[in-house]
Amino acid sequence: MADHLARKKVIIVGGGTAGWMAAAALVRHLPHACEVRLVESAEIGIVGVGEATLPHIRNFVEALGLDEADFMRATQATFKLGIDFHDFGRIGTNYLHPFGDFGRRINGVELLHYWRRMQAEGEDSDLFAYSIANIMAAQNRFAPPVTDGDHFLSTYNYAYQFDATLFAPYMRRFAEANGASRTEGRVISVEQNPESGDVTALVMDDGTRIAGDLFVDCSGFAALLIGKTLQSEWEDWSHWLPCDRAVAMPSTSPDGSIEPYTRATAMAAGWRWRIPLQSRVGNGYVYSSAHLSDEDAAEALVRSVEGAAMAEPRQLRFRAGRRKRSWDKNVVAVGLASGFLEPLESTSIYLAQGAIQQLIDLFPIDDIRAADRAEYNRMVDIEYDRIRDFLILHYHATKRDDSDFWNHVRTMTVPDSLQEKLDLFRRSGRIARYSHGLFHEPSWIAVLVGQGIVPQGWDQRADAAPSAAVKQTLASLRSHLGGLVGAMPGHDSALKRCAAAIAA
Amino acid sequence: MTPQPDRAIRSICIVGAGITGLSAALAFARSLPMVQLTLVETPADPANLTDRLPSGLPVMRGFHELIGLSERDLVRAAIATHRLATRFDGWSHSGASWLHAHGDVGQPADGIAFHQLWVAAHARGDAEPFGHYALAAVLAEAGRFTHPSPEPASPLAAIDYGLRLDPIAYHQFLDQRCAMLGIVRVKAGPLGVERRSDGGIASLHCSDGATIAADLFLDCTGPSATLLSAVDQAFDDWSAWLPCDQFMVEDGGSAEPGCRDTIIATVSGWRWLMPLAQHAITATCLASAFADPGETGKTVSVMAGARPHPWVHNVLALGDAALTMAPLLPINLTLVHNAIVRALTLLPGRDCHAVELAEYNRRTALEACRVRDFAALHMLRSGRQSGALWQALASTPPPDSLGHTLDQFAARGRLPFYEEEIFGPHAWAATLLGLGVLPVAIDPAAGRIDAALARQAMARFAQSLRDIAARALPYPEYLGRMTATN
Repeated sequence: MADHLARKKVIIVGGGTAGWMAAAALVRHLPHACEVRLVESAEIGIVGVGEATLPHIRNFVEALGLDEADFMRATQATFKLGIDFHDFGRIGTNYLHPFGDFGRRINGVELLHYWRRMQAEGEDSDLFAYSIANIMAAQNRFAPPVTDGDHFLSTYNYAYQFDATLFAPYMRRFAEANGASRTEGRVISVEQNPESGDVTALVMDDGTRIAGDLFVDCSGFAALLIGKTLQSEWEDWSHWLPCDRAVAMPSTSPDGSIEPYTRATAMAAGWRWRIPLQSRVGNGYVYSSAHLSDEDAAEALVRSVEGAAMAEPRQLRFRAGRRKRSWDKNVVAVGLASGFLEPLESTSIYLAQGAIQQLIDLFPIDDIRAADRAEYNRMVDIEYDRIRDFLILHYHATKRDDSDFWNHVRTMTVPDSLQEKLDLFRRSGRIARYSHGLFHEPSWIAVLVGQGIVPQGWDQRADAAPSAAVKQTLASLRSHLGGLVGAMPGHDSALKRCAAAIAA
Repeated sequence: MTPQPDRAIRSICIVGAGITGLSAALAFARSLPMVQLTLVETPADPANLTDRLPSGLPVMRGFHELIGLSERDLVRAAIATHRLATRFDGWSHSGASWLHAHGDVGQPADGIAFHQLWVAAHARGDAEPFGHYALAAVLAEAGRFTHPSPEPASPLAAIDYGLRLDPIAYHQFLDQRCAMLGIVRVKAGPLGVERRSDGGIASLHCSDGATIAADLFLDCTGPSATLLSAVDQAFDDWSAWLPCDQFMVEDGGSAEPGCRDTIIATVSGWRWLMPLAQHAITATCLASAFADPGETGKTVSVMAGARPHPWVHNVLALGDAALTMAPLLPINLTLVHNAIVRALTLLPGRDCHAVELAEYNRRTALEACRVRDFAALHMLRSGRQSGALWQALASTPPPDSLGHTLDQFAARGRLPFYEEEIFGPHAWAATLLGLGVLPVAIDPAAGRIDAALARQAMARFAQSLRDIAARALPYPEYLGRMTATN
C-alpha cells in the first residue's frame, strides 16, 4: 500500500467547474496516489446563467457515488433530451438534435435509408418522428430510459440543464469532504525548475509558497500556468468558428411547463441559447465581434428574452481553439485553459470531464513519462478536433445568405476531416464511424438532415421490401413510439418526483 | 423498378467458390434478393487458409444467424465443435503454459478493470494464474462445456466460445445452402479480365468462351487475389514481424472432441492442434529462413500481409485475397464475416465512387492493423530464449501501434484504445500476461482497492469457477446430448 509520503502533491489552480470537478474526481479515484490542494481567489456570488450538459455527466456524478436527486436539487437542474436548433439551415426551420437513436435498424439497415427511400417515392415523413427523445421533447414529457437493450425505451438518453455557479460548489463540498484542501488567495508568481522548466511552486499574495509535483491549470482563459508561465502554444480556430464573444442574462421562467431541452436560435452574427432551469431561464447570445457590436448584441439578447430580466447582461470574451499540448511539462490544463469551443452542443463540461478521466488513467506513477503525456494529449486532441468539426457543420451546412457572418461560414473551406464526412453523407447517407469519443452517427445524421442535407443515394438494401410494407412498418413505428411517450409523465411531474425522492 | 435505377448495383460476380466465396454468396443473396449473383468456381488454392482451417471468434455466431445457419445443425452434422480457449505451450518467458480464453476474465471492482486488479494482487503474491479467473478457460482445462447464459447477472454469462469447423464438411454444407438458394454457378478455368476505361473490371472471359459481366466483382480467389491484383498490386508485407511463411495442415488422427485448442511453440515456428468432431487437425507453421530443409518439403507458402486497398473500383477482395497470415489466431472466418457485413453496410452505388470505398478501406485497414499487432505480439514477445528464429524476433522493433500497446502495458498495465479491434481488452491482457509482459508498476487507481478484500474476493471468485466447472458436463457428453435429441 502506497504510504502517505509517496503520494503526489497535486495543485489545482482555479476553483470553477473544471477545478472542482478535477478535485472531486482525483480524491475519489486516486486517494492513495495523490494529495489534492485547490487554490482559488475569493469569488463574488453571481446569479447563474445556466449550463447545459451531455449524458456523460451522469457517469461522472455516479462514479463519485453521488445521488442523482441530490445532485439535481443542489444545482437546480432540469432534464435535457437534446437541443432544439432554430434557423440554422434556413430561417424558419428547426430540428431537435436528440440524445438518442432514430428507431433501430430494420433487417440490419439503418432507418435513415428506409426514410430516404420513402421520401424518394413521394411518401415523405419526418425523420425525427422516429426518435423517441424528439417525441418526448415535443410533448414536454420525461421518463428515464431502461437498460434492456431490446426495448425502444433504451434508445435514448438524457443530461441536465443546471445553474453552473451551483455545480462548482457542489463538487467542492464533495472534494473537501473527501480530503481535498482549499487555499484562498491570488497567485502572484510561479516558480520553475531552471533546467527542466517544470513548475515547482506557486507564490501567493500573502507570501505563502505552495509546492507541488503536478499542477492542474483550471484558471480559465487567464491560463496562468500553461499560458502565462509555460507559454504553451495555442492553435487558433477562429477562421472556422468566428464567434468570440457572448452576452448572457438570466430571466424569469415563463408560465407553463419547463421544456426538457435547450434551445439554440441562429442570429445574424451567431446564435442565442435558452436553457430552462428549475426556477429561472438562462439566456445568452454567442456572436462574432467582427460582425456585431457589443451594444447591439446585448440589445438583441434583451429583446429576445421572454420573461423579465433578472440581472444586467454580462459579457464574456473567448477564442475558439486549443492548446497544441494540453499537458506540457508537469502542467495539465483542464477546461478553458486547455481549449475553448462555443457551447453550441454543450461540450464544455464534457471536455473537462474527459480530460480529468484521461489524467486519472495516465496519472504519473513516479516521474512523468513522456509517453504517457503524449498519450494524454493524443486522446484529448482527438475529442477537441472532432467536436470542432461537428460545430463547424452547424454553421457550414446552411443556405442562409442574410448577413456577412452567414456568407462567411457558408462559403469557408472547412477542415478536410469534415469535408470527407460531408462528401460521404451526401453521396450515400453513410457516416464515417468511430466508437471512441463524440459525436456518434445519430448526432451527425440529426444535424445533417435537420439542416437540409439529404443524401443523393441510400443503402439499396432498403429497396428490397415492397413500398407498402415499408410504409406500414414506418407508420407502425411512429405510432408505437408515440404510444410509449404518451404513457410518460410530464417533465414538471418528473422533476417533482425527483425532489420528492430526497424528501422521502 | 428500383427506387434508385441509376445507382443500385444490379449484378455481382463472386469469383472463388471456397468457404469465403460461398459465405459471401449466401450473405449477399439474402441481403440483396434483387441483385443477380453469379458464383464462379475457380480451382482451389491449397494456400487458401480459410478453406484449410476455418475458425472464428465468438462473433461468428452472429454471421451464421445472418445467413440462416443453425449451430445445432452444424454440430449434429459433425461439422462444428466449440472452442472455449487456446492453450499456448512453450510460449512464454517462464516456460509455463497459459490460456487465451473467450468471454470474460474476473470481475471489475469499483470501476477498475480486472487485469489491473490482478496485476496488483500478483505483485503481492495473492494471485492465481490469470486463466484461473476466466470461466471459459477453467471449463476448457477441465474438458467440460456449457453454453453461456443470456442472463447478464448469471455467472454463466462470462462464458463465450468460437467454432472450429471441419473444412470439407463445412464447405459442403455451405455449398448445399447456395444450391438451395438457387445461386447461379459457373465453372471456369483460368480467367481473362477485361478492364473498363476507368480501371475497373468490365467482364471476365472464361476459357470456354463465356463472358461474365457484372457491376461488382468479389475476389474470393485466395492469396493470389487474381482479380484485385489486376487492378491494384499494393500489398503491405508483414513478414518482418510474422516470418513464418510455410504451413502444412495434416490429419491428426482420431481424437475425442475437445473444447480447447493447443498451440505449441517449436524451434522454427509452432504447431496448432485443433480437435474437431471426429478427428483432429494439426497445422504446422515454419519460418523457412530458420527451418531445416527437410521440414519444408510438404509445406505450402504463405506471405503474411494485407492489401491496403481491398476495395478498388468495382473489385472487392475478401478473405485470404485481402489478408494472409500463417495460422496462429482463430480469426480467418471472422475476418471474412466482418468484411462481408462491412461491405453490405457500406454498399456503394454502382459507380463505386472513391469516397464511398474510402470508408470501407479505412475501417478494414484499422482492423487489419490490430490483427497484425496481436499476431506480432506473440512472435516478438514469445519469451523463448533458444532458437535463432525467436532470438531474431525478440530484437525486432514492433510496428508503432504494437509498440505503443507494449509501452503502455509494460509501464502501467494500460491498454490504449484503437478503433476496429477484433480482440478485446481481455484477450490482450491474457496474452500479454501469459507471454510474461508484466507491468512494472501498479496503476495508481487500482491502489485504492483494499488488498485483503481483493484477495478474498478473487479467491472466492476463482473457487466459484471451479465449482461451476465441476458441475458442467464433459464436452463429449455435452456434444452427444446436443446431437441426440431435439
